[in-house]
Amino acid sequence: MKILVTVKEVAEVEDDFEIDGTSISESSLEYDLNEWDDYAVEAAVQIAEAGDDVEVVAVTIGPERSEETIRMALAKGVDRAVRVWDDAFEDVDLLDVESKTDVLAAVAAEEDPDLVLTGVQAADDSFGATGVSLADELGFEWAAVVNDLELGEDTASVRRELEGGVEELTEVELPAVFTIQTGINEPRYASLRGIRQAQRKEIAATGLGDLGLDASVVESDLRLTEMYEPESESDVTLFEGDAEATAAELATVLREKGVGAE
Amino acid sequence: MLDYVGLESDLGEEERMVRDTARQFVENEIGDDIADHYIEGTFPKEVITEMGELGFYAPNLDGYGLPGLSETAYGLLMQELEAGDSGLRSMASVQGALVMYPIHAFGSEAQKDEWLPRLADGEAVGCFGLTEPEHGSNPTGMETKAERDGDGYVLSGSKTWITNSPIADVALVWARDVSEEDAPVRGFLVETDREGVTTNKIDEKLSLRASITGEIGLSDVYVPEESTLPEVEGMKGPLACLTQARYGIAWGAIGAARDCFETARDYATDREQFGKPIAGFQLQQEKLAEMATQITTAQLLAHRLADLKERGDLRPQQVSMAKRNNVRMARDQARVAREMLGGNGITTDYSPMRHMSNMETVYTYEGTHDIHSLILGEDLTGIAAFQ
Repeated sequence: MKILVTVKEVAEVEDDFEIDGTSISESSLEYDLNEWDDYAVEAAVQIAEAGDDVEVVAVTIGPERSEETIRMALAKGVDRAVRVWDDAFEDVDLLDVESKTDVLAAVAAEEDPDLVLTGVQAADDSFGATGVSLADELGFEWAAVVNDLELGEDTASVRRELEGGVEELTEVELPAVFTIQTGINEPRYASLRGIRQAQRKEIAATGLGDLGLDASVVESDLRLTEMYEPESESDVTLFEGDAEATAAELATVLREKGVGAE
Repeated sequence: MLDYVGLESDLGEEERMVRDTARQFVENEIGDDIADHYIEGTFPKEVITEMGELGFYAPNLDGYGLPGLSETAYGLLMQELEAGDSGLRSMASVQGALVMYPIHAFGSEAQKDEWLPRLADGEAVGCFGLTEPEHGSNPTGMETKAERDGDGYVLSGSKTWITNSPIADVALVWARDVSEEDAPVRGFLVETDREGVTTNKIDEKLSLRASITGEIGLSDVYVPEESTLPEVEGMKGPLACLTQARYGIAWGAIGAARDCFETARDYATDREQFGKPIAGFQLQQEKLAEMATQITTAQLLAHRLADLKERGDLRPQQVSMAKRNNVRMARDQARVAREMLGGNGITTDYSPMRHMSNMETVYTYEGTHDIHSLILGEDLTGIAAFQ
């Protein structure tokens, strides 16, 4: 069995940041693996550990810089990775769902997986559509926002999160694409042994030409027109921690505001 | 995180990944609970096997399933663990540098096969018995003795200030083999369930509270010949281990100091008095400038040590210099950080006072600050002050 996991290195914005035209200046960005993808990787690795002869392949669209992030997925148990990049991507502000779908579908056509796992969405552009669009392109069955996954012979039973707290249990025929929700498992840390082994695993640098595609794949009807910081109308204080701790903090605030004063 | 002269930008990918993994682990698994453990005087035992699964014990050794990472990666790991708490780094130091290292360096194949994988996974816990109630800075004066008895030895004596002895499965005990001429010091791997072994816990510590400390009592404990470390004799055995552990401490202290610095910087830029953040006042800026400078120079020393160790040129006296300097630095800067936090700084909500108090232990364990001065003094003058 082969599982293809799509992963993305996303930009995380620091608390203080500067907007530069339609992007955020590089100095206020840090790069990390997309949170949802971390759960998708864990789901795939768990399936591989439980089964015989399961290969987990990660695929990403990203520049050379992203290799370190992808290497972390390899350190957590992914067998090898494919990194697609091309000069054509360099000048694109926004890679839309269709472009990503075309690229990932071309990789999937080469890899011929039985199962594709993606994160529900990417933390930076948050389209939340690539997984399902990929299923459509490949003609695979699919389920989105999956928070439980049991793999059978030719089917998978999945639990999906719907709106309003409703959950759906459903059987999906394989091959299929599942978009994985956070919380489905507890992503592991990379072990130091895993980090060491990951240095020897393959990250295949792949160009558009290698996939039978060309620069036209990045063309898009979508355009990023403006980037701005919404004005805040009031401040929010968020208490974190268990009920006891947050209740105590709330009590302090109320007391400071004069509630309960004699 | 403070990296003022960009030392970390020269790290290899593998080293950065080790740093990031350790940092995340400490932040997620240790961060919120360590202050409670500190108050209670307990160690978060669940992390023993977690750290084992992640390969945090002796990752700079190879073979026997150990990853054989660079000395820099190992140093970074110690740094990140001690940014959490000195108790956490002490756990990893003792298990890795003081128990696994000597087995790896001086043990028999059978000892390596039996102990290294279990210690690496954290399934077994080890401790290191050198210090005695009457012999601290001068371990050569040790009284614990081993006497030949048929195919084995009988051990008697007592050891104290032994990290993890109450939870240890095996103690590496250093004792004088009185059956031989000149009674050379030898190492013995003593399972703590052997008859005659006691491991009392030392309570009521005011420092390094999130760490388990105890004694080892040896009352005519029989161990077979196979329990001795075959490949070393004399004080160079325990001293070689201490060099390994002190190397980790020189790195670890930077982590504690860095955590103090970051806490103080965050606090000072957030806390407003007289209409602006206190970080805007010259007095606080001078403290931050000095703290950052001291941490940066300690980092430079640690990174240089790593390079020397990697190529096999590191001398124990150089480790003494780094341990001496970096721990003193952390001890001093933790106090400055606490001071910047005002009254809030004396609560467990903030880390500096916990680090400050931990550093009192670190300052005098693994060779006191003063003993390291004398080691350097001897190296620089050729005259030993302690003989």
